[in-house]
Amino acid sequence: MNRKYELVYIASPDATDDQVTELHTQVEAIVQRLGGKIDKTENWGRRRLAYEIGRHKEGTYVLEVIDGTGELMKEIDRRLKVTDLVIRHLVVRVDEVQEVIDRTRGKRTEVSRRRRVARGLPPDRQPGEGQRGEPDDDRDDRFDLGEDMR
Amino acid sequence: MNGRKSFGGGGGGRGRGAQGAQQGKDGQQRRPMFRRRKVCKFCADKIDDINYKDTRLLMPFVPERAKILPRRISGTCALHQRKLRIAIMRARQLALIPYTAE
Repeated sequence: MNRKYELVYIASPDATDDQVTELHTQVEAIVQRLGGKIDKTENWGRRRLAYEIGRHKEGTYVLEVIDGTGELMKEIDRRLKVTDLVIRHLVVRVDEVQEVIDRTRGKRTEVSRRRRVARGLPPDRQPGEGQRGEPDDDRDDRFDLGEDMR
Repeated sequence: MNGRKSFGGGGGGRGRGAQGAQQGKDGQQRRPMFRRRKVCKFCADKIDDINYKDTRLLMPFVPERAKILPRRISGTCALHQRKLRIAIMRARQLALIPYTAE
């Protein structure tokens, strides 16, 4: 049974662009061999790491959205573990979570549409309608911690 | 003291009216400091997807020492705090968010 997974791996900062592309083709080859499909690939480029990983301070992040079986992801996981060029990787299953998100979103729009119709309004919000955002409140002390951490 | 002022200032918030009445009656200062009612950010802003990739969303919940901000301070509801925790832990694995402050 095919499921949707997200794979993020961090390539070593010493890796050249060619080597990163090479990594991607390697992943692609495994995915194809085991009957999967790559839905999306995103290269986030070089980023600073939040902490040092094996004395590396930055790395190249690559995200792949993969449609495939659990065995496929197991194989990819195994391969990435032994690849020295990849300093960190993470596989996350996303289909179930996405389903829940879509369901809550769907429910919310449905409820709001029903309420709007009950109030005799068109089901969808018209442009320029609705309350404007609250002006910024500087006494808002909920938590301003961490804002300056970025 | 600035709490008193903000009662007069008007604006939303629950229980303001009741409080005003109470103060009128016994003139007692029950709450010297005005505390804003805490609201779950994710419920209020209708953020369904708490994603580990979205560092901008997660960063306010890991202040200085990089510990996860507890619910009693941030006001996040149980459901969203749970999702938030998972997202933060994933982001930490990928070195998007620190485990500790060095």
